[in-house]
Amino acid sequence: MQFNSLDFAVFLPLIFSIYWLIPAKRIRLQNVLLLVASYVFYGWWDWRFLSLIACSTVVDYSIANFLGRSTHERKRKVLVFSSVVINLGLLGYFKYYNFFIDTFVEAFSLFGIAFSPRSLNIILPVGISFYTFQTLSYTIDVYRRKLEPTLDLIAFSSFVSFFPQLVAGPIERASSLLPQFFERRTFNYGQAVNGMRQILWGLFKKIVIADNCAVFANYIFDNSADLNGSSLVVGALFFTFQIYGDFSGYSDIAIGTSRLFGFKLKQNFAFPYFSRDIAEFWRRWHISLSTWFRDYLYIPLGGSRGSTGLKIRNTAIIFLVSGFWHGANWTFVVWGALHAMYFIPLLLSQRNRTHLDVVSQGRRWPRLKELVAVSLTFTLTVFAWIFFRAENLAHAWSYVGEICSSSIFAMPAFPGMARAAITAVLVFGFVIIEWQGRAHQYAIADFGRRWIRPLRWTFYAFLIVLIGMYMPSVESPFIYFQF
Amino acid sequence: MRKFIAHTLLFMVFLSFIYVGSVFLFGRLASNECKPNIKYRLGAYGHFFSRLKEVKTKHNIDILFLGSSHAYRGFDTRIFEQNGLSAFNLGSSAQTPMQTKVLLDRYLKQLNPKTVVYEVYPTTFTLDGVEAAIDLVSNDHNDVSSFEMALRTRNIKAFNSFLYASIIDLVGLEGTFSEPRLKGNDTYVPGGFVERKMSYKSTSAQAQQLNPLNIKQMRYFQANIEVLKSRGIKVILVYAPIPKSSLPQSMPSAYFDRLMQATGEYYNFNTLIELDDSLHFYDADHLNQRGVELFNTKLLEVLSK
Repeated sequence: MQFNSLDFAVFLPLIFSIYWLIPAKRIRLQNVLLLVASYVFYGWWDWRFLSLIACSTVVDYSIANFLGRSTHERKRKVLVFSSVVINLGLLGYFKYYNFFIDTFVEAFSLFGIAFSPRSLNIILPVGISFYTFQTLSYTIDVYRRKLEPTLDLIAFSSFVSFFPQLVAGPIERASSLLPQFFERRTFNYGQAVNGMRQILWGLFKKIVIADNCAVFANYIFDNSADLNGSSLVVGALFFTFQIYGDFSGYSDIAIGTSRLFGFKLKQNFAFPYFSRDIAEFWRRWHISLSTWFRDYLYIPLGGSRGSTGLKIRNTAIIFLVSGFWHGANWTFVVWGALHAMYFIPLLLSQRNRTHLDVVSQGRRWPRLKELVAVSLTFTLTVFAWIFFRAENLAHAWSYVGEICSSSIFAMPAFPGMARAAITAVLVFGFVIIEWQGRAHQYAIADFGRRWIRPLRWTFYAFLIVLIGMYMPSVESPFIYFQF
Repeated sequence: MRKFIAHTLLFMVFLSFIYVGSVFLFGRLASNECKPNIKYRLGAYGHFFSRLKEVKTKHNIDILFLGSSHAYRGFDTRIFEQNGLSAFNLGSSAQTPMQTKVLLDRYLKQLNPKTVVYEVYPTTFTLDGVEAAIDLVSNDHNDVSSFEMALRTRNIKAFNSFLYASIIDLVGLEGTFSEPRLKGNDTYVPGGFVERKMSYKSTSAQAQQLNPLNIKQMRYFQANIEVLKSRGIKVILVYAPIPKSSLPQSMPSAYFDRLMQATGEYYNFNTLIELDDSLHFYDADHLNQRGVELFNTKLLEVLSK
């Protein structure tokens, strides 16, 4: 089931109503409802993959309990290692099997050895990268004795499969989300309204911004060989807003939906396109994944301690793995490598923690220096997105090559220029609102708070009107579902 | 919780007014690029407006034709009238069973036909019905059945277009609209047929690649047949001739034939009469007047049996 579907528009109010009809002290019953709702939500795509979630749940629940009981360090290591192998094994099989087979075949063919192993027609289960990382964090935290294992299988299963964030995050830590399944949850008007507002903004980002940008980004990337350089720049810009609107929109809906049920999820996007350098960008983009890699990969590797060589190695590893996490394609690896290249100079010059505050805090407009820094970071990001979006590396290089040619000075020309101009106007309005709300959890969290109610409601209604006017005829899936 | 529910309901009412008002303003003032989700095609392609205007004056006919453009361009009611059969053609562009249901709800009782010739074409069973729904809401008055149709398409474009057309109906903004009988190469013939200026197919057609059958449309089709049969109306399913080069490759005729035969009395005229792609069609889909005459003569033979 997709957040931007009619099915979800029926599902959410239904589950919301039943959930709050259950007395607050019946926490277990609320958890059972959430578990059933989550399995229905996920099973709506393909019920067969429910077995994978169930398997992941049971494995990590059991291993964590063994870990909790065991004091023998070697045995504990074996247990946590088994959890990592099983979880990453499932992920590897479904996501990377064919990629590795193809890469091996290509590598051997370079030496004149030809063989054709069986490649499998594997369907990637939606959200496997997200819930695998979530359950892994649980067993690792129990192993590190940062968290007590739970004996409540229902609560744990609800945590693993919690439907708002099951398929595309935010990737929640067990230490943050799991305890909420044991707390008494009472309805809070302010929190519910806040949740509704965030859902609305998420839908606007996804449907109005991302889906409309997608029309042109897809066309331009699919026909890049026939278009001039300036059109390709426009295509890259459209994709830049598409992926942000799509993914941060999903996160907003997920966080907003969780609020409706009395849960708090962490912020996943903090206006990353207003970052003044790449280090700040990575503190603001897909925060739950970045911090996951930081805590479970970067720091165990030694982090930023040690020699310069080690620092470079650790940073390169985390960016390459992050790229590879997105998918079995070298384009993602190069995307990660580019960001590593952007980041390492900042790390080595110890300027990677320069911008910890919000840009132009307390001011309406940025200073020229800030504007230049934001523009430069944005340009670097857009350039990297070309590799992320391209079909393969050859496509990415030819795309970049055309941008670097003299055709960059020609006027953009592709079908539907009038619609593209309207989309650009919508994106411009969107950026203005995002800028206004950059100090908050999401852009319209405080927007119009001091207005009289009819005016504030008119603004919300206007967003819904824009959704109705510009939503695509056919529901389009969220990009991050494929990861 | 009560406050939350009350405010939510109040906001929904507030939103309804704002939304309806915005649809009207967008529909009226914005250019087509600015309102991709509102389509209003009054006097749409194929003289649908004229057909729907005329149908309101018809009662107790012998034959009612239903279906896509193959119907309104393929069944010349004059030929049937000449043979003593009163007939009306209620076909429309890309009409899917979903739109046929609305038309039957509105006009079946009044037309009270003895026989219904239901033109069946594989493509219409694969469509979502959005474009044909927009044609219908734009050219006829709107009621509960068109509201239901707009909802069942599960498509925002159909829903917004329905809203806009309903406002236009309500305010009576297009009350004086009249459609010319002659539009381009098409002439509207009273009785619902559209005659094309005699021409021949020049370009070579490509075999169509069909999407899978739309289950929703198949259900509507079965329901339509049930409604007709329950009223004791004779139903004849007809696969009208199309150029051999356009016959869908991805759905073999034999498969479609079996599907239709299981539903009722069915004739595939692509196998019953021998027509020439160049001489009897004017494009990759439709018969020219010479082809129509041959086809209708053969159909009359079938009906007389």
